[in-house]
Amino acid sequence: MTDLQVMTAVNGDRAAPSRDRHVTLEVRDLDFFYGEAKALKNISLDLERHSVTAFIGPSGCGKSTLLRIFNRMYDLYPGQRAEGQVLLEGENILDPKLDLNLLRARVGMVFQKPTPFPMTIYENIAFGIKLYENLSKSELDGRVEHALRGAALWNEVKDKLNASGLSLSGGQQQRLCIARTVAIQPEVILFDEPCSALDPISTAKIEELIDELKAKYTIAIVTHNMQQAARVSEYTAFMYLGELVEFGETTRIFTTPEKRQTQDYITGRFG
Amino acid sequence: MNPIYTSRARNDKIVRFLCLFAAAFGLMWLGLILFTLFWNGLAGLNFSVFTEMTPPPGSKTGGLANAIFGSLIMTVIGVGIGAPIGLFAGTYLAEYGRHEKLSNYVRFINDILLSAPSIVIGLFIYGAVVVPMGGFSGLAGSLALAVIVIPVVVRTTEDMLLLVPNQLREAASALGLPRSHVIRSIAYKAARTGIVTGILLATARVAGETAPLLFTALSNQFWNADLMKSMANLPVTINNFVQSPYEYWRQLAWTGALIITLAVLALNIVARMLDAERKKK
Repeated sequence: MTDLQVMTAVNGDRAAPSRDRHVTLEVRDLDFFYGEAKALKNISLDLERHSVTAFIGPSGCGKSTLLRIFNRMYDLYPGQRAEGQVLLEGENILDPKLDLNLLRARVGMVFQKPTPFPMTIYENIAFGIKLYENLSKSELDGRVEHALRGAALWNEVKDKLNASGLSLSGGQQQRLCIARTVAIQPEVILFDEPCSALDPISTAKIEELIDELKAKYTIAIVTHNMQQAARVSEYTAFMYLGELVEFGETTRIFTTPEKRQTQDYITGRFG
Repeated sequence: MNPIYTSRARNDKIVRFLCLFAAAFGLMWLGLILFTLFWNGLAGLNFSVFTEMTPPPGSKTGGLANAIFGSLIMTVIGVGIGAPIGLFAGTYLAEYGRHEKLSNYVRFINDILLSAPSIVIGLFIYGAVVVPMGGFSGLAGSLALAVIVIPVVVRTTEDMLLLVPNQLREAASALGLPRSHVIRSIAYKAARTGIVTGILLATARVAGETAPLLFTALSNQFWNADLMKSMANLPVTINNFVQSPYEYWRQLAWTGALIITLAVLALNIVARMLDAERKKK
């Protein structure tokens, strides 16, 4: 990233056209409703390509809700709707005609609780690949190994690929889920509090992994842990009561926040 | 010692004794039933029970071969029809229709069907199938059993699918799986043992049903594999034989009852083992 781009991001010039900056996902004037209740109010921000954007804020501020718009997860439930625009490489993903399954192949998601499928470790990875590609056994083996290596899990599971995914430890399960997501080669990976159910050592491994993954993917992470946001992200968005209070380069947000609320939150005065 | 504490300890003893007594009292009857069945049924249990047809009045030989065969056939067809319908309906309630109003009505009606007396179901099939078709038949008996199987399977399928954490569905959807695929390869897979257990328990339930067969399949003294004709079956045969004046018939009735009980017991044990397997995971 050039200094100019940093400056643009820092100055919060959110409406700048995407071709000037390497933006994967543009959010424009986004509102979100749970039934009648408005959960997100007029959100606009950009996710920069191959970088990590962290979403922080107190419980109920709407950060997870926002993340679940990026892969239209909310569509699984009735009565939830989004208004505005979310452009993935220029294409509005809120378009009702959009093929949701193809969108979700491009925007992967890792959840708070590790969610291995009730099948073998190998099948957990191969399952997603087989949805999109018709590969020979040896090609599939290669892809599974590649994905597991990519999630720093290969050395721990290479001798027990046929064991149940549920037999792994929590941290390993979470890396299995990351491998599963990476295996289908998405463009964006969404992390919804990926470490909140893990011990510190597993957390460190996941954070290292996120740092490596950003070379290839655009990453958005929701976290309750401000230190984590500071450690892993290039950009940080602070949200409060459904509004985007402040958005900018992580180092700046954590050192010289412009808004009083941001400062209060990151210094632990409320939250 | 503190008097409050003493009285608490005493109450605890009394309640504990009452609970133990009630449990033992209930179990005693089950033990007595099993004992009586074995005592009376074992005497008549031999190879010819499985090879010979039900005897005519007064005969001193004969078995239950046609009745066992008829029971097997009708149970298999009944479950074969009822289980898939129940499975799909349960899937609708737990998956596609979870947020739909229709589900509440379906669930309500299903609960009524679940507790409907089985003789009412027999009467319904008598009116809906036996009368229009012009006679009793194995098919009518199978349909009556199917109607009993459906609500049991609907209920267990829905319950088991609801136990599958929603996060698993979200995780599968997040990979881009279409809904039907999420249900087939994730939800069913996670709920499999529970659903199979439900179907086994439904099978056990209908294997011993008498009332729905009384005026649908009726009975048949001879070997019959034709579903369009009346068909012998264990429960109705037992019902007929036990009321008869012939000693040999009454002996066969006891033996038939023992066979049904053992079969149902075996099904239940398999279901329990599957269930234990499920809980271990």
